[in-house]
Amino acid sequence: MKPQLFIKISLSLLVFLLMFLPFIPLILSSLSFGWQWPAIIPDSISFRAWDYVLFGSSGTWQAVGVSLLIALIVTIINILLAVPAANALVRNSFRGKWLMEAIIFAPIIIPPFVAVMGIHLTFLKLGLTETIVGVVLAHLSPTLPYMVRAIMISYQTLSVDWEDQARMLGAGPVSRFTLVVLPHLLPGIVAGASLSILISLSQYLITFIIGSGQVVTLSILLFPFISGGDPAIASAYSLLFAGMAIMTLFGLDVLLKKYYQQKKAVTNKG
Amino acid sequence: MKNSIFLASAFLALTLSACSQDTNEQTAEETEQLLTSDWQTIADSATGQQVNMYMWGGSDNINRYIDEWVAPRLKKDHDVELNRVPMNDSQDIINQLVDEKFAGKSNGSMDIIWINGENFKTAKDNDLLWGSFSGQLPNFNDFIDKDAPEIANDFGEPVEGLEAPWGKAQFVFVHDEKKSQNPPKSMDELAEWVQENPGQFTYPALPDFTGSAFVRHVLYETTGGYEQYQQPAESISDLEKRLEPMWDYLNSIEPYLWRDGETYPESLAKQDQLYASGEIAITMSYDPALAASEVLKGRFPDSTRTFVLDGGTLSNTHFLSIPFNSSARAGAMVAINEMMSPEAQTAKLSPENWGDLSAIDLNLLSSEQQQAMNAVELGEATLSLAELENNRLPELSSDYIEIIEKGWLQHVAKE
Repeated sequence: MKPQLFIKISLSLLVFLLMFLPFIPLILSSLSFGWQWPAIIPDSISFRAWDYVLFGSSGTWQAVGVSLLIALIVTIINILLAVPAANALVRNSFRGKWLMEAIIFAPIIIPPFVAVMGIHLTFLKLGLTETIVGVVLAHLSPTLPYMVRAIMISYQTLSVDWEDQARMLGAGPVSRFTLVVLPHLLPGIVAGASLSILISLSQYLITFIIGSGQVVTLSILLFPFISGGDPAIASAYSLLFAGMAIMTLFGLDVLLKKYYQQKKAVTNKG
Repeated sequence: MKNSIFLASAFLALTLSACSQDTNEQTAEETEQLLTSDWQTIADSATGQQVNMYMWGGSDNINRYIDEWVAPRLKKDHDVELNRVPMNDSQDIINQLVDEKFAGKSNGSMDIIWINGENFKTAKDNDLLWGSFSGQLPNFNDFIDKDAPEIANDFGEPVEGLEAPWGKAQFVFVHDEKKSQNPPKSMDELAEWVQENPGQFTYPALPDFTGSAFVRHVLYETTGGYEQYQQPAESISDLEKRLEPMWDYLNSIEPYLWRDGETYPESLAKQDQLYASGEIAITMSYDPALAASEVLKGRFPDSTRTFVLDGGTLSNTHFLSIPFNSSARAGAMVAINEMMSPEAQTAKLSPENWGDLSAIDLNLLSSEQQQAMNAVELGEATLSLAELENNRLPELSSDYIEIIEKGWLQHVAKE
């Protein structure tokens, strides 16, 4: 065996182990029946937790659907808001720019708990509580900063000269954006979208307060079990949650690869 | 890409419009009638209503009892749809309602809430509950001993029909029969027991609900009984002095507790985990059947048993109520009435469903109904209903609880 190949295999094995090691206790605990100290693995296995989570009356699948729907809408709105915002913040210098940046990035620093109480009262008056719309709007504040940040970094490496060149070659504003700017921003958008999806999926407090129990996401179902002390069901839910997040990121990755392949094909033809 | 952005915004608009609320608001007149009209009229107006029941959602047993036992029967017999909404803490329900009251929301989505004790007092003080409805329920009138102190009062607060009793709980200690044959049956015995078995006992740090209840037992036993505390706290002028023996007792056992008493489990869930993994020998519960159901789940060892103190243990009642802005009050009344029926209460008693003690008075049942209830297999870990009933102490009102919880931090945790 070539030494390079050996290193490659052992390295990927190590990465694999490091990634999946934390899941092993979760899997064991979700299946355990009578797991007592000092046994390292449970002496018998029960599917009670999985039976409840996957097939019972727990409404898990609907909650997964609602979680993903909210994360998707939040991310789309984030992209629509963040691209112009990043553009303005990177390329223009204007009076009070630091203040704008501070406002956009404030949700990272200020705990959501502080803001959500005020948001709840306002939304109650507007009739937005207990609706998906309200929850989506409330999820924007903790997710938008990450999206703006990611796209700003992409913008920083995009010189205006490229667009000027395209303009000289006769490209209108729309084709300049779709053919020059957007392909360059895409990695940043994908990075921001991943963060936005993950953060939206894991929101408990905001979803709970604004949704008032009528918008049931997976974290709403998961939380009482984690703090209520049923380790088996909490583990099963945690695994399901991780699976959902990983599948979403994986799907995003596949879409991106597809896009680059298509683009390659188009450029090769041209 | 332009197309997909357009598509995305079209999709968004579609979703937003699909999510707009539809509510069937009742007029004030109609709802007031529900408090006076006869039961048949109430049952008729409940037909077809959807009832949202907001309750703690951290137990698969309880969730399944509601979803798979109660809800299908309500649908079939009364055409009322029961939708369980999981909460992490009953306090969250009250916070939501306070905000809704402040914002003037009249068509709320909470129709039934599961509360007791402090939550009830807050709700009552802030006018968050609808009205005196329990006297309208046939099962309340037929099977509940209305004058019993644990039904008429909720942690010392007069109920006044604002909530209907759903079940009872009683404090028990949980131990492993194989590890400790002779569990301590009084606070004096416990003090000796912890000295002989250092590191094997602890209690959840206050203000944990169960940890706080444990300390109240210490209060009753070290300061001379519960009778003296059946009056408001401010009317006892030398209260601080009277509490001193309790702090002394707690400080005297502290060095022999788990981790030398340097720290306490932050919640009962953590303490149960310590017991489940064998680190400590005794845990406690305000649910006398919890140990049995944990044995069924395989979390606690088979040799787990429960015991009460010779001087008795605290018991309380938990209730169902209807918030001030419920949109389906008739449906909520029908659902609560059904959950108080002897059949539902008997099913609830079984540890396979939940194991919660019944709120109804056995003497008011027919002999067949009594038999059905007595025939429920409570599991080896649960004490008999008679043994629990003969060792019941009343709860303290919440003003004492507040004083004790603050005092514990000052006198026990800090020292």
